[in-house]
Amino acid sequence: MRRMTRRALGVLALALCAGTAAAGPMQDLLQRNRALIEESSRRTIAPAIEAVATSGLPQAQQVLRAWQDKALAIDAAGRFWIAGEGAPLDPEGELAAPEGDLDRIKPNSGIRALLGTALVSFQLTDPDPARRMAGLDSILRDPEPELLAPLRASMAGETDPAIAARKERLERLLTMRFGEDEAARVAAIEALSGDISVEARGALNPLLATRRVAGPAGETPEGNLAARLVPGADGFGHAAAYAMLVDAGLAPPRPTDAQIRDALAANIEAGRVAGVPVAQLGDPGRRAAAYDALAGQGLVPPRVDEAQVEAALAAHGFHEIYLEPSAAVTDAARRALAAIDTKVTAMKGVDLGLDALSLASIYFLAAIGLAVTFGVMGVINMAHGEFIMMGAYTAYLVQQLVPDRTLSLIAALPAAFVVTFAAGVAMERLVIRHLYHRPLETLLATFGISIALQQLAKIAFGTQARPLTAPDWLGGAWIMNDVVGISHIRIAIFVLALMFLGFFLFLMKRTRLGLETRAVTQNPGMAASAGIDPGRVNMLTFGLGSGIAGIAGVAIGLYAKVTSEMGADYIVQSFMTVVVGGVGNIWGTLAGAAMIGGLQKAIETANPSNTLAAQTYMILVVILFIQFRPRGIVALRGRAAGD
Amino acid sequence: MTGSFLSRNPSVPVMLGAILALVFAVTVFSEAMGGGLSTSFVKTLGMTLCLALAALAMDLVWGYAGILSLGNIAFFGLGGYMIGMWLMAARTRDVVTANLAAQPIPPTPSEIDAAVAGQIFGVVGSDSFPLVWAFSGSLAAQLALVVLVPAALAAVFGWLAFRARVTGVYLSILTQAMTLALALWLFQNDSGLRGNNGLSGLQNIPGAEGVPQAEVALWFLWGSAAALALGYLLSAWLVSGKFGAVLRGIRDNESRVRFLGYPVEGYKLAIFTLSAAITGVAGALYYPQAGIVNPAEMMPIASIYLAVWVAIGGRGRLYGAVIGAVAVSLVSSFFTSGRLPDLDLGPVRLVWVDWWLVMLGAGFVAVTLLAPKGLGGLVDLWSRRRGADRHGADLGPDAGALREQEAEA
Repeated sequence: MRRMTRRALGVLALALCAGTAAAGPMQDLLQRNRALIEESSRRTIAPAIEAVATSGLPQAQQVLRAWQDKALAIDAAGRFWIAGEGAPLDPEGELAAPEGDLDRIKPNSGIRALLGTALVSFQLTDPDPARRMAGLDSILRDPEPELLAPLRASMAGETDPAIAARKERLERLLTMRFGEDEAARVAAIEALSGDISVEARGALNPLLATRRVAGPAGETPEGNLAARLVPGADGFGHAAAYAMLVDAGLAPPRPTDAQIRDALAANIEAGRVAGVPVAQLGDPGRRAAAYDALAGQGLVPPRVDEAQVEAALAAHGFHEIYLEPSAAVTDAARRALAAIDTKVTAMKGVDLGLDALSLASIYFLAAIGLAVTFGVMGVINMAHGEFIMMGAYTAYLVQQLVPDRTLSLIAALPAAFVVTFAAGVAMERLVIRHLYHRPLETLLATFGISIALQQLAKIAFGTQARPLTAPDWLGGAWIMNDVVGISHIRIAIFVLALMFLGFFLFLMKRTRLGLETRAVTQNPGMAASAGIDPGRVNMLTFGLGSGIAGIAGVAIGLYAKVTSEMGADYIVQSFMTVVVGGVGNIWGTLAGAAMIGGLQKAIETANPSNTLAAQTYMILVVILFIQFRPRGIVALRGRAAGD
Repeated sequence: MTGSFLSRNPSVPVMLGAILALVFAVTVFSEAMGGGLSTSFVKTLGMTLCLALAALAMDLVWGYAGILSLGNIAFFGLGGYMIGMWLMAARTRDVVTANLAAQPIPPTPSEIDAAVAGQIFGVVGSDSFPLVWAFSGSLAAQLALVVLVPAALAAVFGWLAFRARVTGVYLSILTQAMTLALALWLFQNDSGLRGNNGLSGLQNIPGAEGVPQAEVALWFLWGSAAALALGYLLSAWLVSGKFGAVLRGIRDNESRVRFLGYPVEGYKLAIFTLSAAITGVAGALYYPQAGIVNPAEMMPIASIYLAVWVAIGGRGRLYGAVIGAVAVSLVSSFFTSGRLPDLDLGPVRLVWVDWWLVMLGAGFVAVTLLAPKGLGGLVDLWSRRRGADRHGADLGPDAGALREQEAEA
């Protein structure tokens, strides 16, 4: 009532001040459509929005946005204002003083959606490319048939090639779903064939949405038929099929066991249900008889047994129907999706290859130190995993001292090497040296060291995981397309693994120490007679293997967390890498790492829901593999094999 | 190979006497008989006896046949799982039947089955019995499986490994991998054994609801002691005969025994399988006392503990394994019980629960380096047994063979 009065007053005021108020073109336009705007109904508002949007006035966008944001208002004099944050503006964008209180127009959500569509065409022709991109993104998020026209209209004037390409794609995606005729839609779908982006797949899939219908057998339902369903096949069980019949009212509902029990319980009379003593109802046959008797009295719905279910299923046909009526469109969409699937599968293969490569690099880094100590010296070092952990904690400590991430990483690598090298040499001198002829006892002694070191780390650093933060330039990922991508850290680990391979080959083949190491490996006695000190060589080799473990620890710590148990997570895989690859040969370790890494990723892909099962199967495969090549992939022959 | 069984095995009467004395003393002083020993301590003793039996089986394969099997803990856990399946199924059935009896309509057999399955497997989101529980309704079948499943796993794995002539550290690592694979498999929810929840409530014996736990603990102590005594007798009989001589020959020089015409693989497979069966029995007696078995018990680190006990006790002698397991596990439960006051050493505060593992690790290295014969070597000092004088040469050229330094130390 108040509003009506105000409106009447407004009209009066407008009539009075029509000559004096500085009315611009937008104010005039709004005034002409004022009745519609104030009525604010989704059914009638379209001409008003259209009038503003197509007015060609520079303020049109601002007004529409204000309207959408519930910031369009009318003052006591009946003039329109934009009442955003700050002082109110008149629709021409000039500061002026409204008369009296402002009454905001509150469009409902339907009108706001219409305004949004109208605004899109402004956004798509905005001079700012970022705004145009944002407009395209919002269309992609929320595709509507009405957006197709403004999108197409904006394509002609587009100057930015990247945005033009994007508009063209989006136009296809929209045409595909909302295009006016079948031919245009099929053409749009075919243009998308082989496009592996998530948005293309996301746009194609809804076209193939189906619903299931049940009807009398032998009758084909109307509509775009997708498939005939056979109960009991393709994941379409008997229970589901019967439930469809029940939902369609074609068959009586089947009382569940629980319902039967409740019905019986509700009909107990003097210790009996339909004449059957309650104590006998534990027997399925007696229970069915009692229920049937109740059904015969009309107290409960009748039981439906298996034979009746079968008969009902046989008497009906089940079909899947596309929601999309046009068969040409669904056929084209199916073909396009099939083409995309082929390509996505290939790309996933590439992605899997990259993943496997990066996992193999990690195993290689973790195992190379072990290969040195186990392969070259025949010594099992169960504490190898703890050297990895030591390297990671060293890097963590360095990071606490040096705040710059890049510098701290550069400092951490040699620091980790030095710390673990020293620890390795100390361990060799104090323990391993005395156990060279007792390999099984070395295993146990180094295990003792391993649990002691692990517990010491737990006491010193706590059980909580410590973060090792990578510098920013290692933080991103290299993304080839929507399917294939790899993080920079993994690339860095791969490069590090390659560097170590090169370093190790150089050390073994080109340096004095490498020559002596190989000599001691093949025959310590002869090497000693030739003037080589086997003790010194063993010490240095062990230190080197431990040092490499330390550096591997830095790399592993960068992409996983640093905990006192991180070494234990890698020790079994590292051993398997060495054993599978073949002892005493760097190429064997490389092949072993590639096999273990590839195998693990492949099994994980085949069974993505269950990484534990993947690890189990991998270990089983490795155990079987050892059956066929007990000495590993690259087996040394002759004297080098040591026997 | 001459003389009576007892003269060849002087340790047997001592060990049996010790077990009998322990059982007698514990029974007399136990809570159930009105004594001062708490039920939890009786359980700890019972579990320690089971661990000693497992260590004994470990010594058979490692100390006598030279196979450092890191898979024995898997057999131990499997034994526990096998008996646990019956305990849990039968106990849950009792509880569920009692609950359903309160309903107005008596339940049908299939309703009881469904309720039991829902109770047991609800935690892993399943409501029906998986295939591996097929025999869980029968105590006799599950008791047979306690022996059969570990033995079958050992037989298959051993056949594969020994046939491929995998020896020494390779074999150790392969058995380690087998343990890890089994633990990871059990960790899955769809393995049918309740994933990482494991089997729980095993201390409640079906059909013995009225019996107090103090008494149940005594039953298990007697059972464990009997199993250890029988296992000791069987092992002593085995290793003191011709079979044991061949085993020691394989340990010291496998090729030589093979060239003498012995089927080395058969001997190794037999002792490995037997060891697995004994370990399975030990596990089946251990876990009802512990109350819960889960896959974390089988992680690789646990498998090495078994080897550690044998090494500390002294491998290659049966009483060494028993002494090692009893000593280490009792000392361990003493240090980790939290009853020992913390030691303040200025900058470092010695919390025994934390530092115990460090001490164990260091002590273990020390034993390996300084006393390869372990605690059992003390017996040699007393009995003045001397090692063979080989003038410094190895006892066998094999990398895994016993060395003279070891035999003497």
